[in-house]
Amino acid sequence: MSLASLNFFEIFSLPASFRVDVSSLEAQYRKLQAKYHPDRFLGAADSERVQALQLASLINDAYETLKSPLKRAAYLLNLNGVDPEEHNQGHLEGSFLIRQMEMREDLENLASEENLVGLDKLKVDTEREKDSVLDQFEYSFNAGELSNSKSLYNQLQFLFKLLEEINRVEEKLLDY
Amino acid sequence: MRKRAVGIDLGTTNSLVAVSSEGHPHTLCDHDGHCLVPSVVHYGAEGKITVGAQAVALGALDAANTISSVKRLMGRGAEDIDYDLPYAITPDPEGGMPAIQTAAGQQSPVEVSAEILKVLARRGEEELGGELDGVVITVPAYFDEAQRQATKDAARLAGIKVLRLLSEPTAAAVAYGLDKKQEQTVIIYDLGGGTFDVSLMRLEKGVFKVLATGGDAALGGDDLDRAIMGWIAAEASLQDDPNYETINRLAAVARQAKHALTDADQTTVEFGQWSATLTRDQFNSLVDGLIEQTIKACRRVLRDAGVDASEISDVVMVGGSTRTPRVREKVGEFFQTEVHTEIDPDQVVAVGAALQADVLVGNKYGDDILLLDVIPLSLGIETMGGLIEKIIPRNTTIPVARAQQFTTYKDGQTAMSLHVLQGERELVSDCRSLARFELKGIPPMVAGAAVIEVTFQVDADGLMEVQAKELSTGVASSIVVKPSYGLGDADIEQMIKDSYASAASDKEQRALQESRVEAQRIIEALESALEENGKELLSAEEYETLVSGMRSLQDTIKNDDSDAIRDEAEALNEASLVFAGRRMDTQIKSALTGHTLEEYE
Repeated sequence: MSLASLNFFEIFSLPASFRVDVSSLEAQYRKLQAKYHPDRFLGAADSERVQALQLASLINDAYETLKSPLKRAAYLLNLNGVDPEEHNQGHLEGSFLIRQMEMREDLENLASEENLVGLDKLKVDTEREKDSVLDQFEYSFNAGELSNSKSLYNQLQFLFKLLEEINRVEEKLLDY
Repeated sequence: MRKRAVGIDLGTTNSLVAVSSEGHPHTLCDHDGHCLVPSVVHYGAEGKITVGAQAVALGALDAANTISSVKRLMGRGAEDIDYDLPYAITPDPEGGMPAIQTAAGQQSPVEVSAEILKVLARRGEEELGGELDGVVITVPAYFDEAQRQATKDAARLAGIKVLRLLSEPTAAAVAYGLDKKQEQTVIIYDLGGGTFDVSLMRLEKGVFKVLATGGDAALGGDDLDRAIMGWIAAEASLQDDPNYETINRLAAVARQAKHALTDADQTTVEFGQWSATLTRDQFNSLVDGLIEQTIKACRRVLRDAGVDASEISDVVMVGGSTRTPRVREKVGEFFQTEVHTEIDPDQVVAVGAALQADVLVGNKYGDDILLLDVIPLSLGIETMGGLIEKIIPRNTTIPVARAQQFTTYKDGQTAMSLHVLQGERELVSDCRSLARFELKGIPPMVAGAAVIEVTFQVDADGLMEVQAKELSTGVASSIVVKPSYGLGDADIEQMIKDSYASAASDKEQRALQESRVEAQRIIEALESALEENGKELLSAEEYETLVSGMRSLQDTIKNDDSDAIRDEAEALNEASLVFAGRRMDTQIKSALTGHTLEEYE
C-alpha cells in the first residue's frame, strides 16, 4: 500500500461522504504532516527526501480538497465516475440559468451605482443560497442521485464564483 | 555531539546572526557590542572587500563602490529598478539580475549577498567553535521563486549549508513562542528599513501556518526618513536635485530626528545653518499616509484569509521602524489589541531563525514545531495570446505539486515550449518570468494525440521544479528544470571556482571534504535504515548488495579522490531507491494503523 494509491478520504481515514468532520480532518492532517514534512528528512538520503516532498505535497493537496466544500463536492463526483467539469447544459435547470443572469446583472448595476448597501444584501442572499444548495447537494449525493448532484454542483460553482466577484467589486469600491 | 547551527536574518538594511543553546537564543555581536551588521559591502580598487559598519564608513567617501540594499536586487532584473542607486548597474542582456560595477570588477547581487553571509557565518563559527552544520536563513514571506533561489545561491556561494529558507514572519512568531499557546490567529507586522511585510498566521498544536501575506517591497523606515527629509527640504528651501553626499547628510539628520521623537515630544532639527523644531504631532501627520498604506495591506491580508480583525489574538511587531510610537498606536488601534514589542524588533527574526535552526539540525527533539508556509504568489504558465493560466494559486500551502496536461496542436509535433511565470496579474508581461524551456522528443502523432503531463513541484523553501512526461505512449520522457533567475548552475559553479582560484589546493580540499561529508551522510542514513527494517523489507540479495555498496564506499572515502567518492555515493544512493520506497510505504501503513488503533482503544 502506498499513500499515493489511496483516495483523499482514505489518506485521512475519513468516510467518503460530503459531510466531513473538520476537527478530525485537521488532526489527521497535522499528524501526517508532522511525519512526512521534508523538514523531518533533512538528514535522510536524497531518495527519501524526494519521497517526503512528494508525500507532503499530496497530503497538502488532499487536505485543501477536503477542506473546501466546493472542491470536496467535485472530488466526490469524480470518485463516483462523474466528471464535474463536463458541460452538459441539459442538466442545468432553465430557471437557474435565468437566475444566474439576473444575479450577474444585479451585480453589474450595483457596481456602477457604487451601491455598497445593495452589494451587502446581494452578498448575504448569495451566501444563503449557497448554503441551501450545499445542503441540497449533500442530500442528493447521499441518495445516490448523481446526475442531480452534478447539476447542483454546477450551481455551486456559479455561486462561489459570484461571491468572489462580489468581494472583488466590494474591495474596489472600498479601495482595499 | 551537539551540532552547530545558527539563524541568519539577511535584511535589506541590516543583517544579524543568532544561536540557540538549550532553547535559549541570543544574537551574536562583534567585539564592540554591535549586533546589527549593516547590509553594506564596499569594494576597493585593490580587490579588498569590506562588509558592515566599516563599509558604511567607506561609503560616505566612495558611494559608487559601496553596495547597500542589495536584497532589493536579488532575483530582480534591471527593469525592476525604478529608483536611483548610488552605484552603477549593467542590465543583463538575457533578462537576469543586473551586474553591479565596482572598482573590484562586476559583482552580481548574489555575490554581494554572499559576502554579507560569510561575515555572519564567521561570527557564528567563532561563537560555536567550528564549522557550521546548518543555517536557517530568513526571507520575506512575499519573496518569489527567483528571489528565494537567489538567496539560496548566495548561501551556496558563501559555502553555507542551508537547512531551510524560513519566512521572516514565521521566525518572528517562533521567537515569541506563540506556538506554546492553543489555537490562535496572529498578525506579524514587519516594518523594516526598506520593506513592509504583513502576514497572517494560524498557530495550532505545533503547526504554524501562514494563511496570507501582503505588503510592499518598497515601503519602510527609509520612507519615514524621507518624509522628514522632504519636510526639511521644504522648510529650509533646499534647492532641487541635491547630490548624493547632501542626500546622505540629510538622511542622517532625518533619521536622528525620527529616533529622538520615539521618546521625546519634540526635537530640534539642524541642517547646515538652518534649524527648526519638529514636534511629534507634526511628524505624525507627515507619516500618517505611509502608515495608512501599511494598514491597507493589513486589511487586504485579513480579507485574503477571510478573517475579521477582532479574531486576531496577537500582533507581533518586527523591524526597527516599529519603534516609532505612531506605528504602534495605529496598528494597535486597527487590530484593537496591544502589540508585542518585548523582544527587540530588530533581533526577533534572527532569534526565531536560531531556534528553528537548532530544531532542524537535530539538537532538539520532542516538542519540535512544524512550520508550514504558503506560496506568496501564484505560479502559472503562458497560454495563447500572452495570458496566464494559474497552476498553483497564491497562499497554497507548500510543499505542493500540481499536474497539468497539454496536447500537441499540430500533426507530427515533436516539441513544445513552456513558459513558467509567477504573479497575480492576467498578462504575461506583468508577471515575473521564472523559466522557459522546451520539451523535446515527443513521439510524432496526429494533433491532440500526444498528452504531456507537466508537474510543478514547489518545495518547502518555495523553490520550484518542473517535470514533464509524455503519457499516451506509456514511454515517459521526463525532464527536470530548476529555474534560477539569471544565474545558471554553471554560473554558480564558476563563481565558487573563481572564489577559490587563488588557492587551488584549497578548492580541491574543499571538494574532497564536501564529498566525504556527503558520502558519510548517505552511509549513516542507509545504515540506520537497514538496521531498522532492512531485513524485513529486502530480499537477502538486495540487502547484500546495499551492504557491500556501503562497505566499498567506506573504503573509497579513505582515498583522496573526490570524484570517485562522489560517483560511488551517487550510485549507492541510486541503488537504495527501492528500499526507500518500501520504507515510506511501511511508515504510512503504521501511521494509518496507529490512528485506527487509537480510535478503538
